[in-house]
Amino acid sequence: MAIAATPLRPESSPSLGRNIVTIRGVRKYFPIKEGVLQRVTGHVRAVDGVSFDIPRGETVGLVGESGCGKTTLGRCISGLLPPTEGGIYFGLDDEAHRRLDDLLRMPAGSRTPEQDRKLDELAARYRIDAMPKERWKAYRRNCQVVFQDAFSSLNPRQLVKDIVGRPLRVYKEAFGRDLNARVIELLDDVGLGEQHLYRYPHQFSGGQRQRISLARALALEPDFIVLDEPTSALDVSVQAQILNLLHRLQQEHGLTYLFITHDLNVVRHMSDRIVVMYLGKVCEAGPAQQVFDHPRHPYTEALIAADPGRHGDRRVDLRLMGPIPDPARPPQGCRFHTRCPVSTKWCGWEVDDVVRQLESAGRTLEGLTGVERRSEFSADLRFQTEEQAEGLISALRSAAVPEAMRAALIDLRRNGNEVVLRFEPVDEVRLESIEPEHETACVLHTSQYPQVRGE
Amino acid sequence: MTATVPLLSVDNLAVHFATKRGVLHAVDGVSLNIGEAETLGLVGETGSGKSVTARSLLRLVPTPPGVYAEGRVFFRPRVLCSTCGGTGCATCGGIGRIPAPCPACSGAGCPACESSGRETLDLLRVPERKLRDIRGNRIAMIFQDPGKALNPALSVRQQIAEVFAEHRSQELLEAAGADGDSSSGAGVLMRRAARGRSRLVERRVLDIPPFRSRYARLRGGLDDRIAEALKATRIPNPRKVMNSYPHELSGGMKQRVMIAQALACDPDLLIADEPTTALDVTIQARILDLIDELQEKHHTAVLYISHDLSLVRRISDRVAVMYGGKLAEVASTAQLFDDPLHPYTKALLSAIPSRGQRRGELVAIEGAVPEFIAPKACCRFHTRCPFAGPLCSSKDPALLERGREGHHAACFLYDSPDDVDAAPDLMPSWQGKRV
Amino acid sequence: MASGSGLIGARPAAWRFRALVTRVRRTTDIVRESLRNPTTFAGGLIVLVLVLMALFAPVIIEGNSPNAYQMPRDFAAIDAPPGTEGHLLGTTPTGGDVLYGVVWGARNSLRLSLIVVSITVAIGVAVGSLAGFLGGRWDSLLMRVVDVFLSIPELIFALAIAATLGPAFGNIILALAVVFWVKYARIVRGQIIHVKQNDYVDAARVIGDSRWRIYLKDVLPNSITPVMVQATLDMGHVVLIGATLSFIGLAEAGLAEWGNLVSEGQSGIVAGRWWVATFAGAMVFLWALAFNLLGDGLRDVLDPRTEGR
Repeated sequence: MAIAATPLRPESSPSLGRNIVTIRGVRKYFPIKEGVLQRVTGHVRAVDGVSFDIPRGETVGLVGESGCGKTTLGRCISGLLPPTEGGIYFGLDDEAHRRLDDLLRMPAGSRTPEQDRKLDELAARYRIDAMPKERWKAYRRNCQVVFQDAFSSLNPRQLVKDIVGRPLRVYKEAFGRDLNARVIELLDDVGLGEQHLYRYPHQFSGGQRQRISLARALALEPDFIVLDEPTSALDVSVQAQILNLLHRLQQEHGLTYLFITHDLNVVRHMSDRIVVMYLGKVCEAGPAQQVFDHPRHPYTEALIAADPGRHGDRRVDLRLMGPIPDPARPPQGCRFHTRCPVSTKWCGWEVDDVVRQLESAGRTLEGLTGVERRSEFSADLRFQTEEQAEGLISALRSAAVPEAMRAALIDLRRNGNEVVLRFEPVDEVRLESIEPEHETACVLHTSQYPQVRGE
Repeated sequence: MTATVPLLSVDNLAVHFATKRGVLHAVDGVSLNIGEAETLGLVGETGSGKSVTARSLLRLVPTPPGVYAEGRVFFRPRVLCSTCGGTGCATCGGIGRIPAPCPACSGAGCPACESSGRETLDLLRVPERKLRDIRGNRIAMIFQDPGKALNPALSVRQQIAEVFAEHRSQELLEAAGADGDSSSGAGVLMRRAARGRSRLVERRVLDIPPFRSRYARLRGGLDDRIAEALKATRIPNPRKVMNSYPHELSGGMKQRVMIAQALACDPDLLIADEPTTALDVTIQARILDLIDELQEKHHTAVLYISHDLSLVRRISDRVAVMYGGKLAEVASTAQLFDDPLHPYTKALLSAIPSRGQRRGELVAIEGAVPEFIAPKACCRFHTRCPFAGPLCSSKDPALLERGREGHHAACFLYDSPDDVDAAPDLMPSWQGKRV
Repeated sequence: MASGSGLIGARPAAWRFRALVTRVRRTTDIVRESLRNPTTFAGGLIVLVLVLMALFAPVIIEGNSPNAYQMPRDFAAIDAPPGTEGHLLGTTPTGGDVLYGVVWGARNSLRLSLIVVSITVAIGVAVGSLAGFLGGRWDSLLMRVVDVFLSIPELIFALAIAATLGPAFGNIILALAVVFWVKYARIVRGQIIHVKQNDYVDAARVIGDSRWRIYLKDVLPNSITPVMVQATLDMGHVVLIGATLSFIGLAEAGLAEWGNLVSEGQSGIVAGRWWVATFAGAMVFLWALAFNLLGDGLRDVLDPRTEGR
């Protein structure tokens, strides 16, 4: 559904860019610490190189299953977490946006010092973790968050009046009776009233608490609100109230939403654009209608098919098998290839898949004594006996592993009690435009491996 | 007659809770039937009493603060088919189980079995011992959060072994060829081992040569059964998963282990209390497929509790909608979803965002669920119902068949003033707001 | 609520009053709950009696001069049994009035426990907050210090400090303070780390509030309940250990202190002079019991899971 004309706030001038927030190459890694000395032994790659734009006045839906990094990304965007790499840019005008993209398109190594300097200049002006304090403060006011858990997002020891009035007090915008009037106005706006001023959060139901959260977020008249699963904890009937309210507020205040959720019905209803994430990466992004009607990435398709609301066409062939891989060791190529029902030999089959696939087929690597890895795609597996080595080889040639994986094996032979195996090395799948505004990261649709479509 | 006797019938169940502010009527006069191999979806929002209803079927509501104020829960278990011994034959229709005849009248029908001719137990009144024998054996339950329902200190093997030890120790002993010598010390030890009651010392004793082989057979038999139960839920590598602990498994895997544990003894009824709410959609879809498939195989009846209407639509044969501790509507899935009668059901259905609905125009039910502390007689929904009339706040609507067979709704909108003894101007009318 | 906005300007005082009423009502709810809970009620009642006795000690028995905390000596009546004229509860082997010791001992105990608990709570909350709220290196450093303190048995530690500093009431206070603060540091830190994960802390950060105000408004008020419970329990505990120290003789001689009295009376018990040790001992027992009951009850009453539900 197209929103009638982007509602701009009256004071916004034409110099404002089309996008309110621009996310470029954001990564967020969490260290895994082990032992008494808390040595860092690895990183969970919660968000691993995500880029998209949030157009002014629109709602961008960020969808994915638990552990895909959507909440972490939301926290990075709202400035609660510093990204490990990449940046969130705020207030880029269209010209600066174009320049930024031109510069970022070049690999980091091949940029000239002059170009690096230009990039730094852009960052110092627009990137939220590098911008001057004044601009950061403006962003802080302009970007608000509504959290999922309405029970833990309100301080149980403060009155509603203090909770909603707090932002105004922090910025010294209102005091005393003026503050009260403003708070009542805000409560009124979200469907609560004067009678709720002097109550504690525990005296409210889940839906009402979420309204209080919204009133607090609106207090500073922001342009942009990150909604982190705002209705997931609510009952359907209350969810409908909140969704209607969110829409009304967007219309009245010209708000831009980033709507993070795992509920496809909700995201389809609310969003203009959709970004689908899987294991820290974007696998598909585009206009909501188009993504839902013509999903291009098999993961998006599987997500839509798994929705129990879509009775009638229960496509069992789109059931995803196998567990979600460990985000500390994400799969090569396309991250979804381990569970993908339509994978090809170009999808990034690697040494780790030998274990992944055989395990989900119910087999174990018996007698394995050592693995010598030459790369992610090539390794020697040492067994106790030659029979065991032979066993692995026959398993890898059998239907216990996907056909695409067998096709990707370019070398598989036994060397004594060692198995030498080598997969065709591939690059990470890139997010590419397949239609205007509609991007996907799937080898079936991008130009990365033209051979795929030839086969 | 026997064929139409429901497996479980709940009759006017009322469960109350003592709270600081008064007696909370969590469940207030619920009557339900679940037929054999039927899936009944029980839908309701937070505070509707759906979980309390489910838990009271197995008397799992803690008392105090809970009180089983009223009602009966009749359960009619099945027994192993005497012709084939559970393997499936023509007599039992390949299910392996047949209805248990009433021990008092052996099928003729008597007051003890509510003239159903089948063994009938009132689950709210049977002694604790008998109930223990039913829990996990004839009626099993799976919960919303498998992480909390599984004991983190026990391996998957130990958790499932507990079920077999509790309900299948005799079979295990027979399989191990250790049934006969019940009088000898070794027999006693084996018996305790099969029930999972043996101590470390006893297990050490059983490990010495004269007993070792039979003990090994016992353990082997147990492991086989556990692996089989896990395999039935499509867990890859059951022998490996057996040895892992809950924290090593993913959410979907834990739910599978719980289902394996619940279905281990081939129960007659599976109570599923929001089993997929904590799971991702793609995992949820697989768990639903699994429940479907296992139900097909074992002819288990399922009581599926959820707040998610689309989920219930996908899995149930019949649906019961609960609001404020009472049933608002009961109907077959098709009837309920195609032509809901109760205003609450109608509103709930249109509150789900779906294709084609304009943004900002979802039908929301105004207000929130009130708390029903010592409520007076009224339609529980009248405070939020756009059609409510004065009668709705002073009289309890009965759950009656409306129009079609099997379609029950508790709403005065379908009554004529004479039916309910009220003046016409007190009646609710459709001239309310849209739904 | 359009009509409401028109009225606001007219009644600012009324608005403030309503806020006050709501806040007071919350407190009265807790008090009412405490009265209903048999444990807090019993504990609270005994505490009230003991504290009143301590507060009105000068009214009950005129204080000794110049130092009221020194037992008055009546050398004419040594080892007098209870009921003796002028010595209702008898006297000690040195002629001290037991009743005076009991009453002024209560005042002394209240003084001791209040001072020690306020010092330890202050230090503990400060250290625990630094560790929990700042985290990282601060946390590791401060918690190692706490670990060191916790690895020494508290009674022996207090004893060692008091013994090194010499027998004086002030030194007992110091010794107890050094021993007791660690507990609070640990409680506060754990609590703060837990509270910090709540979304309302992030919500305050998103608003742009300063760290200090987030600590004062969001983190501390929600972390303080277990501290209050522990402080109540320690009001009893401190007196118990204080009595132990003075029993061993680490307080000034002749101080009107229950431990001192028990110490003085212990040798007489065999000879049948039971009253000195018994009355003083009973007071220590009663004091510790009362505060333990109150603290345990408060733990239930203030439990955030039941609060306000």
